[in-house]
Amino acid sequence: MSKVPVRLLFFAIVLSLVMVLAACNENSTESDVDKPETDVEKEETEEAEQTDEPEEAGGETEELYSIDDFSNIKGEDETPLEGGELTFGLVSDTAFEGILNYNFYDGNPDVQVLQWFDEGLLTWDENYVYTNDGAATYTMSDDNKTATITIRDNVNWHDGEPVKAEDLLFAHEVIAHPDYDGIRFDASLRNVEGIEAYHNGEADTISGIEVVDEKTIKITYKEATPSLITGGIWTYPLAKHIFGDMNVADISSSPEVRQQPIGFGPYKVESIVPGESVVYSKNEDYWRGEPKLDKVTLKVINPNVVVEALKNGEVDIVDSFPVDQFPDNADLSNLSWLGVTDRAYTYIGFKLGKWDADNGINVYDPDAKMANVNLRKAMAHAVDNNTVGERFYHGLRWAGTTLIPPSHPEFHDSENEGLPYDPELAKQLLDEAGYVDVNGDNFREDPDGNELVINFASMSGGEIAEPLVKYYIQAWEQVGLHVEMLEGRLHEFNSFYDRVEADDPEIDIYQAAWSVGIDVDPDGLWGEQAAFNMTRWTNEENTRLIKEGLSEAAFDLETRVETYKEWQQLMVEEVPAFPTLYRAVLVPVNNRVQNYAIGDGTGIYRYQVGVSAEEPEVAE
Amino acid sequence: MEHSGFRILWREIVRDKLALISLIFFMMMVAFVFGISLFLDESEIVTVDLFAIHEPPSSQFWLGTDYGGRDVFGQLIIGTRNSLSIGILVTLISGIVGITMGVVSGYFGGTVDNILMRILDFFMILPTLMIVIVFVSIVPNYGVMSFSLIMSVFLWMGIARLIRSKALQEKELDYVNASKTAGSSHLKIIFKQVLPNISSLIIVTMTLNLAANIGLESGLSFLGFGFPESTPSLGTLVSYARNPQTLEYRWWIWLPASLLILILMLSINNVGQALKRATDAKQRRG
Repeated sequence: MSKVPVRLLFFAIVLSLVMVLAACNENSTESDVDKPETDVEKEETEEAEQTDEPEEAGGETEELYSIDDFSNIKGEDETPLEGGELTFGLVSDTAFEGILNYNFYDGNPDVQVLQWFDEGLLTWDENYVYTNDGAATYTMSDDNKTATITIRDNVNWHDGEPVKAEDLLFAHEVIAHPDYDGIRFDASLRNVEGIEAYHNGEADTISGIEVVDEKTIKITYKEATPSLITGGIWTYPLAKHIFGDMNVADISSSPEVRQQPIGFGPYKVESIVPGESVVYSKNEDYWRGEPKLDKVTLKVINPNVVVEALKNGEVDIVDSFPVDQFPDNADLSNLSWLGVTDRAYTYIGFKLGKWDADNGINVYDPDAKMANVNLRKAMAHAVDNNTVGERFYHGLRWAGTTLIPPSHPEFHDSENEGLPYDPELAKQLLDEAGYVDVNGDNFREDPDGNELVINFASMSGGEIAEPLVKYYIQAWEQVGLHVEMLEGRLHEFNSFYDRVEADDPEIDIYQAAWSVGIDVDPDGLWGEQAAFNMTRWTNEENTRLIKEGLSEAAFDLETRVETYKEWQQLMVEEVPAFPTLYRAVLVPVNNRVQNYAIGDGTGIYRYQVGVSAEEPEVAE
Repeated sequence: MEHSGFRILWREIVRDKLALISLIFFMMMVAFVFGISLFLDESEIVTVDLFAIHEPPSSQFWLGTDYGGRDVFGQLIIGTRNSLSIGILVTLISGIVGITMGVVSGYFGGTVDNILMRILDFFMILPTLMIVIVFVSIVPNYGVMSFSLIMSVFLWMGIARLIRSKALQEKELDYVNASKTAGSSHLKIIFKQVLPNISSLIIVTMTLNLAANIGLESGLSFLGFGFPESTPSLGTLVSYARNPQTLEYRWWIWLPASLLILILMLSINNVGQALKRATDAKQRRG
């Protein structure tokens, strides 16, 4: 019995809380009657309302950002200390896999770990062309088929052994070995002369690779393509004096890869807690010079707590920051923000054919539901991606125009407008193509008068997935197209790709995203033989242009740029897919960190990173 | 049929002020939510509005908007209706199945009892949550009805056990034997005589189950296996709080729903506790 009053009290408290909540909103109930009716009006009235609303502390959502306002370099505004320690956060909700060797890793998290203690022999500039600033220099022969790589004399492995030409040869031999269990034996490595024969066991050596002397190596390729000098050369040596005696199949699980990995980068691995953290100490023998910091700690940090960790200085830098959390934290006093255009884009693709697995080619089906090019164009014109970018992503994603993103500034055709938002044009295109509403249900039927329902597949995961898909469906409804979410819901990442790749007949259109390689060549994504080309669309023009972009003539930069301009225009005209959003990568950096840069070709290297204070700055 | 058992239950509730307030509150809530949702256009509420994302509470949006620019108040009403419907449906379906299984098994005993109880054991050892998640992701039409059915499949066992044990006791009593001797059919004895005699137990368990079942959907939605956002529910609203930004800066999205779940469960529980006391003469207050 004595319990009752306590229970009653608790109940009363909760009830009164609700009443207070209700009362808060009561005074505003009456003015709600006249909701604006048309969409156009709605935009205007609400925008007007937003401007005179008081700003919410920290939670203001209307601010717009632009990637142009971000620098990708944090230079030296204060003199760095000699020595010091730094904590690097790897934002991920899972552990990193821990295959810590460039010749074997396959996931992005592992690269973040690798970057601190190992590097490639060649570096590249902001256009992803190899330069001679790295641990080795290179020259191409006149026919552009042979690369001669010379490793600098002072480049040594962490154990003091010099990095030799035969280490690079050894890397090629291991990757091409039939027992090799990684994913690096790809098209660009297969381009090495004689490597296929070695892979198939027909030869004991790779005929295209010649070790000239201890520090010089010549690699000959089957075909000369401009891709060679933009990422087409394998530049990650494998320490033969350590791995040379192992079975190839055992290397990736050996302690020298997992627990005590070796490299020749600015820092050495001191200790590893698998999947959680890595402690590095400085490599005094680093070939560029002695690194500034004494110690670097890398740790995995969950995206949900990354803001707190940055605020209280638990981490100084993170590898990438969840963009949706940025607007609420843009003003944190202890951080500077770096930004760069991501080498990735989101796109909506139309299923237009089948994958012919026997011949390994995409087969276009002219009778596919989405085969009418005007229908595809209309769907692209119907969606307002600029507004999506501004409203959902605060300008940190923005409308895509062509299928070569602006992260490749030389090749991205900034004059090509793509298929901009124009619902009137969309309606007109549909009318012309014969898609009209014949049965009065406000949705258009196909030219034969059959009901047209388009199934839209999209992935779950990511903050804004569902409203975004809903928005697209609403936008298409505005121009009279009946689009439905496939099975009424979003699909989990793996099952989504399984079904899209398997050409599930239920799927008519899909929304996906991917990163593009450092080489601009679109063959791997949109080519006739690309399994990744999930639209299955291809035509002769496409094949021709992609081939031209890789031909010897394309070694001339201007020719290559022109070719890819043409290709981008072709993709805009044929619309097998249209890019919806380009995106920015944001990286917060604690104010005490000096000389840190993201992106490519910045000329700032990891060994220069320093700190200007012993302790990280804490947010006020 | 006015049964004296019901009068005892009712008297107990009236005596317990807390239970009475809870009952009235719950009834009002149900009437309010189902009443208002008649006038709300669900498809408009789930319409994404790019120009109203994360609006704080205002005259236009009483409880602000979520990250898709959707009105939270409307979602709260529809969501409460959906969550309540699920709770009630699941309680009814699992209750009916459970009671039937329990009473049949207890009344007949022997082989029938043995078979039914082995089936029940089989269901008891299934890893329920895993199977529910699998069902939920393969069912083609995911809505209130299909969700309730899926949940009910795994929730009838507890009540079946309880009723069986009671029915086992009951069938040994003289009135059952008398009725048998008089030639009444089994069906008549079960439904007209045994069931009414254990009805107070049924009412109490079902009421307490109701409170738990309302929380079911919320729990699953929170784990990310709940309804798609086009079907608002209390669980969906609460699960928005998984985003640290929402949790910290945008209370209007998740707080009302969380409080509502808390109050609804508390009220039902209060009523249930009073009913439970009523079934035990030693604890009665009335």
